[in-house]
Amino acid sequence: MTTTTQLLPHGFEDLEPYVADWAKPTRAERYETRLSKTIDELVEFYDAIAPRAEEAIDYLDRFALDELPADATRLMQLLYSMILVSYAVNIFKQPRIPDSGAAFFDMVAEPAV
Amino acid sequence: MTNIQDRLSTGKGKFTPMYPELGTDPVSYDDCISEEFFRAEREAVFERTWLCVGREERLPRPGSYFTRELPGKLASIVVTRDLDGKVHAFHNVCAHRGNKVVWQEHPQDETQGNCREFACKYHGWRYALDGKVSHVTNEGEFFDLDVSSLGMPRVHCEVFAGFLFVNLSEHPVPLRDFLGDRILELEAYPFHLMTERYGFSTRIHGNWKLAVDSVCEWYHPPYVHGRFIHPDQSKAEKMVPPVDAYHYDVFRPHMLTSVPGPPLLPPREGGAGDAAQDMRWVYRLFRAGLFGPDDVPDIGPMPEFLNTGEIDSWGNDQFWLFPNLSIQIWARNYFITYTYWPEAVDSHIYEIDMYFVPPANAHERLAQELVVDSTIEFAMQDVNTIEATHSALETRRQRQFQLSDQELLIRQFHRVIGDTVAAYEAEAAR
Repeated sequence: MTTTTQLLPHGFEDLEPYVADWAKPTRAERYETRLSKTIDELVEFYDAIAPRAEEAIDYLDRFALDELPADATRLMQLLYSMILVSYAVNIFKQPRIPDSGAAFFDMVAEPAV
Repeated sequence: MTNIQDRLSTGKGKFTPMYPELGTDPVSYDDCISEEFFRAEREAVFERTWLCVGREERLPRPGSYFTRELPGKLASIVVTRDLDGKVHAFHNVCAHRGNKVVWQEHPQDETQGNCREFACKYHGWRYALDGKVSHVTNEGEFFDLDVSSLGMPRVHCEVFAGFLFVNLSEHPVPLRDFLGDRILELEAYPFHLMTERYGFSTRIHGNWKLAVDSVCEWYHPPYVHGRFIHPDQSKAEKMVPPVDAYHYDVFRPHMLTSVPGPPLLPPREGGAGDAAQDMRWVYRLFRAGLFGPDDVPDIGPMPEFLNTGEIDSWGNDQFWLFPNLSIQIWARNYFITYTYWPEAVDSHIYEIDMYFVPPANAHERLAQELVVDSTIEFAMQDVNTIEATHSALETRRQRQFQLSDQELLIRQFHRVIGDTVAAYEAEAAR
């Protein structure tokens, strides 16, 4: 019997170093992480997950959304984070949206998963 | 012309001359910076017009309720579904000594839940779900108390197409009369299928009408959002649809604009290709973008009231419900509401709520996430522009503004607000 907790599903162990920072349950936490990082750190995360994203989506599609095991949930959250940093990495080349100043949206309702 | 401009050009002429009552003169923006106008507008518009406070899905069962703190201390209300399923709204004030009845932890915060009755935290008076007093503690200690006449003050509340509207005046016109034939057609749309909600809220330091202005014209995208389109602005200008590809319609006090959108990606076959630092690759990977998911959920046939401007490659219809609500119905079968709540002449709360058919699996959920994030990235740029505009208007060094044909709805919107305030003041003076 094993007592270790699998952080991510088998086959995605290479992404485990990103779990602590990026596998967060709410968009607010993910956005805070985006703003707390340098653009180089965002690019590093993006470059790590992007080549694995298609395989991750196929893996996650095997589950019903409300029955995702904990390790698959974390993988899903990494993909949400990839989406959240994609504009910063691919368009803005900086963590913050240019000319957005102090603008910020609070999320008042979001899906459970 | 570029490819997209060639493809979508209609050769239609200008829209504004079709509405001679609006004229083509420059307009004043004093209505956005005058304290006096702000006070009049609040009385004439917000205290007597039907205002949307959310979707009916927030009241899923008998006994469901939620509170709203309408910004600018406009009102503090409770919205409920009673045990017979009927929807009620009332001011959140106890009939005993005026305490706020429904709240948790922080009196200023909104709350929601399910109950059979409310109890005031102060002296235990209880209220039924219709807001009427159902029990007075130590009733015998009072003098000539007519309990049956007591309650939290009623707020007129009606439901249209699943949208909950309240009206703070004593004797409002019926909601359906206010909405009129064109808006009533929205009832044919299956809003109720789109229950996956992503809700956002922010405070903008600018007049609320400037925020409305910023999203009812299609002149700004290559400038405010140029980087999303192309890093080179002169190229971005050529990559947006031509001015005659859009559609506008005004039907007082409401109005409509329709927008073209990109074609759907071909059905998923094989993969998205090698990973790249390129949004086009991200859009292919998740099969979604600013205009919605590329795998569109089936919601039945498209109702006839949509895309009446017959736009090729139609993207969405934005119905502006006077005064402060936009319902955007997207070709890819989801909808967004934008709501603007003035707090002061130079501040408002801006709410964006996006509603999708609940995703069946991970890839549908991820596509929604990309649509949501794209929308918010764009909206953040609009927000900051409004603050820049307001701070410049406040200097009062320019008093007249030039509006092009693409800004027809702005001309109409300020006109209707101005007429509504003038009519109210004329009536009050009589």
